[in-house]
Amino acid sequence: MAHLIELSGIKKSYQLGMTEVVALRGVDLFIDVGEFTVVTGPSGSGKTTLLNIIGCLDRASGGKYVLDGIDVSNKDFDDLADVRNQKIGFIFQNFNLIPVLNVAENIEFPCAVRQNPEEAGALRARVEKLAEAVGLKEYLHHKPDELSGGQRQRVAIARALITTPRLVLADEPTANLDSKTSEQIIDLMLELNRNQGVTFLFSTHDPRVVQHARRALQIRDGQMVDGALAH
Amino acid sequence: MALLKLAVRNLLRNRRRTVITLVALVAGVGAMVAIKGFILGQRRQILENQMRGTLGALQVHKKGYVENVLGSPLTLDFADTPELRAKVAAVKGVKAVSPRIEFGAQVSTPDKKPAPEDGSDLPEADRGATSFLMMTAFDPALEQVVTPQRWEWVQWGRGQMLESGTAEQVLLNDDFAKGVEVPLWKAGTALPPLEQRLAILAPDRDSSLNGVNVVMVGTLASATPNDRRVGVMSLGAAQTLLRMEGRVTEYGLDLVEGAPLEATRDAVAAALGPDFEVHTWEQRIPFVKDIVETQDFVFGIVSSIFLFVVLLGVVNAMLMSVLERVREIGTMLAVGMRRRQIVSLFIGEGIVLGLIGGSIGALLGFAWVSYMNAHGISIPAPGAKVPSLLRPSVDLLFVGRAILQATAGAALASLWPAWRASRLRPVEALAHT
Repeated sequence: MAHLIELSGIKKSYQLGMTEVVALRGVDLFIDVGEFTVVTGPSGSGKTTLLNIIGCLDRASGGKYVLDGIDVSNKDFDDLADVRNQKIGFIFQNFNLIPVLNVAENIEFPCAVRQNPEEAGALRARVEKLAEAVGLKEYLHHKPDELSGGQRQRVAIARALITTPRLVLADEPTANLDSKTSEQIIDLMLELNRNQGVTFLFSTHDPRVVQHARRALQIRDGQMVDGALAH
Repeated sequence: MALLKLAVRNLLRNRRRTVITLVALVAGVGAMVAIKGFILGQRRQILENQMRGTLGALQVHKKGYVENVLGSPLTLDFADTPELRAKVAAVKGVKAVSPRIEFGAQVSTPDKKPAPEDGSDLPEADRGATSFLMMTAFDPALEQVVTPQRWEWVQWGRGQMLESGTAEQVLLNDDFAKGVEVPLWKAGTALPPLEQRLAILAPDRDSSLNGVNVVMVGTLASATPNDRRVGVMSLGAAQTLLRMEGRVTEYGLDLVEGAPLEATRDAVAAALGPDFEVHTWEQRIPFVKDIVETQDFVFGIVSSIFLFVVLLGVVNAMLMSVLERVREIGTMLAVGMRRRQIVSLFIGEGIVLGLIGGSIGALLGFAWVSYMNAHGISIPAPGAKVPSLLRPSVDLLFVGRAILQATAGAALASLWPAWRASRLRPVEALAHT
């Protein structure tokens, strides 16, 4: 069976003035559907760069990247936007909700901006179902600034899931949350992974997240240190 | 929704900046409409004075008259027959026809004192004066429809208009009449003896000098700086003076409301044939057309500068908006928005700004113009004695165009900030702090 993510010899380098900074030095990685994987590593190790490339937010300087059977290595900007919209959900450290939209509108936003958006009633029904799943049914008409940090991250999780993506990428999702809320968010994602088979890939420093991961990958100096650490 | 709803909400996000930008748009567009209204009002004022006060909408002359107007145009006259008038009046768009004679004349005022009985000369100061004037002769009953403004000038002068088309009466410019101390005769009172009347002297078609004694029944207040040496007299008296019984040098024509000026001119010319020429008022006084063109040109420049300055404000507001929302734009790109959707979002914000600001500005400008149109602004023309009431006016088409220009301008002004936003790379935009 084909992997969900297949990275082969992924390299990434930046030009900073006259200096070339190498962020990834040939990463090979395979992730299957339904995995709950964390990528750890010290600051500057390349984990955020790796997640950006996997999330199609950035392009590799070299190597090959196949996502869900599609070679995305050489796709143009708008094609990558479509890939992100249809196959990837994002959860950000700072939640990155759109402040002028309420909870329901934030959740449905990725579907609303599609070239062929689904019927509004059906979409709203899915939004409500998701909001209920993340415990925010009572907050659908609240604006992000009326929510706590944990509630905002739940909105972000619901927004990541509304497109029924093949992969959810979470960049330090608990970094701005207190311990209790972090636990709740991790539990929620584990539940979604277990019950709905959503594939999660995290970058984190948070040992609690690592502790719950079924697979932990470590990156250092732009290279994977361990192939896979299964729990 | 999506983008439009989002655009409106984004504008409400920083209300102070949006209000400041809107105020600039309102002021700019409002001023544009107000200035246009003022210009159109001034243009109408000129029209009233020139077309409705002197010429009429169209003038019919014998072929070659206008070209020889400074020579001896009396030889280029034509027979004023009921058939000819009927032919002109039958042309679609023609409302009224007034036959006229334009001619140069000398006006001699009577001596201020009787001649001394001892036969000596009257002192210079007591002698009458002779001056050259341009006279227009017409039948007041016909002329009033074509140039009604003359009657208003009489109201601001003294006395009254000519009593009939044959009366031996004149009206002179008020300043001129006062300057040479022309006595005013009150209609209905006994006529003064001949030696106390004015003498109008003029060469006829054969250059023979003829004269007629007339009384001045009224004066015309000055409406333009160059109308001091003009007068009007009855058509019948002028025809007798010039030995032109039954003949005139021109027809002044008034048109029905909304009749196209040039098309009606062409229709009248076609009806009369090649022996006649027909001119519009614009052709007879091209300087007015020049003024109109100059006004349009200046207005074009002024409104362009207004709009440019206002739209610079929109560019600035939109750029600030982009800079403040870099990470948000990154998020939108991350969840799958395409570049052109980002462009549409920011242009949408510009359009909403332009539409609201432009509409409020244009409607406020229109309200001001309408108020001033109802009340009038008393601005006499330079050198004029007639208190001229300027009534600004602007049509709804211009108001609509102003709104459209503001909206399109704001959309254009948003183009660059929108393009900048769309060129952000999601990975960099998301990392922006």
